[in-house]
Amino acid sequence: MVTEVRTADPVVRLDGLRKEYGETAALDGVSLEIRAGEAVAVMGPSGCGKSTLLNMIAGLDRPSAGTVVVHGENVGELSEKGLALFRRRRIGMIFQFFNLVDDLSALDNVALAAQLTGTAARQARRRALELFEELGIAGRRNAYPAVLSGGERQRVAVARALMNRPALLLADEPTGALDSRAGEQVMDLLIDLNQIGQTLVVVTHDERLAQRCASRLVELADGRVTGEHTLEPSV
Amino acid sequence: MRAVWKAARAAVRRRRLQTLMIWLVTLVSTGALVVALGLVDAASAPFDRAFGAQHGPHVVAAFARDRVSDGRLSRAARASGVEAAAGPFAQAAVDIPRGAADFGLGGEITVVGRAGPGGTVDRVDLWAGRWAVRPGEVVLNRQSDWTADDLGKKFRVPKGPTLTIVGFAFDLSHTADAWVAPAQIGALHPTATQMLFRFRAAATEEGLRAELAEVTGGLPRGALTASRTYLALKHRIGSNARAYAPYLMAFGVLGILVAVLIVANVVSGAVVSGFRHIGILKALGFTPGQVLGVYLTMISVPAVLGCALGTYAGNLLAEPFLRFAFTGPASGVLHGSLGIAPWVNLLALLGMPLVCVLAALGPSVRARRLPAARAISAGSAPRHGRALGIQRRLASARLPRSVSLGAGLPFARPARSALTLAAVVLGVTTVTFATGLAATLNSYGNGERSYDVTVYVGDHRDGREPVHGDRELHALLGRLPGATHVTARSDDEALLVGSTQAVMFEGRRGGRSLDSALVKGRWMRETGEVVVGTPFLRRNGVHLGDRLRLRKDGREEEVTVVGETMDTDDRLVIGSWPTVTALMPRAEPIAYHVKLREGADQSAYARAVRAADPGLSVQLSGSNSVTGTIVGSATGLTLMLSLVASLGVFNTAVLNTHDRRRDLGMLKSIGMTPRQVTVMTVTSMAVLGALGSLIGIPLGIVAHKVVVPRMAAGVDITLPRYMMDVWHVPLLSVLALAGVLIAVLGALVPARRAARLTVAEVLHNE
Repeated sequence: MVTEVRTADPVVRLDGLRKEYGETAALDGVSLEIRAGEAVAVMGPSGCGKSTLLNMIAGLDRPSAGTVVVHGENVGELSEKGLALFRRRRIGMIFQFFNLVDDLSALDNVALAAQLTGTAARQARRRALELFEELGIAGRRNAYPAVLSGGERQRVAVARALMNRPALLLADEPTGALDSRAGEQVMDLLIDLNQIGQTLVVVTHDERLAQRCASRLVELADGRVTGEHTLEPSV
Repeated sequence: MRAVWKAARAAVRRRRLQTLMIWLVTLVSTGALVVALGLVDAASAPFDRAFGAQHGPHVVAAFARDRVSDGRLSRAARASGVEAAAGPFAQAAVDIPRGAADFGLGGEITVVGRAGPGGTVDRVDLWAGRWAVRPGEVVLNRQSDWTADDLGKKFRVPKGPTLTIVGFAFDLSHTADAWVAPAQIGALHPTATQMLFRFRAAATEEGLRAELAEVTGGLPRGALTASRTYLALKHRIGSNARAYAPYLMAFGVLGILVAVLIVANVVSGAVVSGFRHIGILKALGFTPGQVLGVYLTMISVPAVLGCALGTYAGNLLAEPFLRFAFTGPASGVLHGSLGIAPWVNLLALLGMPLVCVLAALGPSVRARRLPAARAISAGSAPRHGRALGIQRRLASARLPRSVSLGAGLPFARPARSALTLAAVVLGVTTVTFATGLAATLNSYGNGERSYDVTVYVGDHRDGREPVHGDRELHALLGRLPGATHVTARSDDEALLVGSTQAVMFEGRRGGRSLDSALVKGRWMRETGEVVVGTPFLRRNGVHLGDRLRLRKDGREEEVTVVGETMDTDDRLVIGSWPTVTALMPRAEPIAYHVKLREGADQSAYARAVRAADPGLSVQLSGSNSVTGTIVGSATGLTLMLSLVASLGVFNTAVLNTHDRRRDLGMLKSIGMTPRQVTVMTVTSMAVLGALGSLIGIPLGIVAHKVVVPRMAAGVDITLPRYMMDVWHVPLLSVLALAGVLIAVLGALVPARRAARLTVAEVLHNE
């Protein structure tokens, strides 16, 4: 089951990554490479630094030491504005609790990601609608988050993450707040995306999700990588 | 109780910014409230307070000495309606030589023999030197904002004693121009006896006359030679205060409204944003009552501290402020009575905390009723969006998304936005009103400064007379460098036939308009035409086109009133030089008013005048003190209210940022730049600012239209239409920015804080 996978140039390269919160080290010298088209699952006990790792890759937080290079850009050296532009162009994020704007319809939540880059509203909506069709939630495009089911909300969140065609899709416990049926649907969606070439990093507690979606498993404990495994594709 | 205190203390510690905001807003608002109420109080009864402090006489009466004895007057003063009386004091009319004018005395003065400044009635304020206790000493009636540098100087009464000035006292009721010791008055040949009465029924002129009639009923016929009531004095002295009152009232009311609104907004916002914390307390086992206690304590501690400090600061600020607001030619008399009334402090100390508690009570009671689970989930559970139609339209608008998102934010929290909007509206109303007021007063001030230098005939310092004659002088002043125009002015008393009162007939040669704007009619063109001020028309029941007969030294002339000016003097009649000399052939100018060319140096011209003729004294025209005072104080008040309104916006922006931390984190995670976050947050408040301008500007214009004419009426003038017509597109455009500016200033700091939010931290906390 454990085989080395080195098929393409790394999209993500972490080198001696360290993150401290006060005197506590959330990450302690993590080095890792993620190649284009890979689906990597990061697992570990609560507080091991999984989400921190994801935040570092997404440029949502800055490392205390070490480097994060995504698509050739050293994330730690970017300005606040540079980080925002980096996230816009390179990253799509999916959160456990969806983080949709309650006052915007599902379609406007998704279109928002493109509109922030200066895309005209009409064009952004057209692209959002395409994604809604692809994700099977076109019928719910005018609904507001409060009336959507958990699965629907997460699909909207996935659509939003894909809106700017990111190089890297990061998912933080994407099925953690969903019932099993909705969780399955989201898993299928992530598998489909990876199969069409989307690089994927999923932080999860859910072994089933890791097994089904990921081609590689990274294990974290106490802020360190304690194991790396290639996973057999599940049927 | 201990648990409540502990939880409240922890909450205060955890919410440092919010606690600071409550403290700051209550401090500034209470300070503004104290100043505002202080102004309202001072503006409503300034005379009554000063008059009460001096135990002023309701009636000042003069009796003929040859008709009634002092003993009989003392007995008459025991009539039932008399509350208190002072006198009898011997009273003399003394002609003062020209040099005595140096002491601010006129030609004929009233001197009263009085043993001391105190007593049950008319306690005069001896503010410099001491009282006259022996012959040869005199105390002059002078306002305390003058200087006392004449102490020790002497003047000689014609055919009488030489008097040394030993003190200056101020008597609001003006019962005398000077006082001497009773032992001295005999040498001044008194002709009357003065009695000062305070009556029990003193509210109306009729009541006072009736009381006086009761006192004088038993006295010989013709014993009472003159009397005046305090109500006439109140009208005269209070005219400046009447001018200030409407505008101070307007500012006071605006200040109170803004203060209450902001406090309500801040406090209720603090409770609403703490719902999650309330849920946790309930989950820990706090009873609903204890939760209520925690929140009321959490709000009350900074609020009470803020109110106490604000009251103190308000008192400190109000004292010089009131002194400044009530400093003017005729309002110095009110100095002694200025200050914050105890009821204002009491109201601020009790009222503002009460407003805070009431503002906190509504949301706290709501929180008290909330099930713990719902309270805990507040903020993280999806809520039904608000004003969704607006959000949808904004999402499709051709605006940068950060702008359209910001524009929609105020609709998500309508109640909070409404309170903030109300504060901005009041702020803009204040700015608009103050701007209009300043524009009108500037226009009025400019009307008063149609000349730059006044050259008086004679030097009052050494009594020198001018070397040149009238015509020679007129020509000389016109030839001096910088002069473009010279107007000679004469002032002489004449009698208005059919009236008992004298008028001041002012002649002008070389120009017609000196310091008055024409309200109605026209300026005089022909001999025999005059213009008068509105108060003259009112007092004498005269209308434009009416003819008046003036008499002087046995000569009578008829004049026609052709114009109404903005003069406040109810005795002034202005005519051309030929009109005046027709009645007074020997009229001589007392002053020459010189207009200088643009950019000419007033001081250099004054030096040239003195060099040309040492018998002249020169006064440079400065800015008008009353208009300067009003504009200055209005600016101060406007800044203060704008600051409070900005704090309200600041608070709303802080609360909104706090409430939307999750959204902000998400937006940043999908690529919103810090600049876009700032733009969004500032836009959300700028929308309220723009709406505030839209509502506040018309309100400010209405306030200007209502208040300013009343201020003018307070000093018996009618403002010409052009002085009220101050609203033009450029000014309105600038004002439209006022609301936006208030909002942007208030939102900038929270917006930058929002822009700096660490996404990972925000999203992790959620």
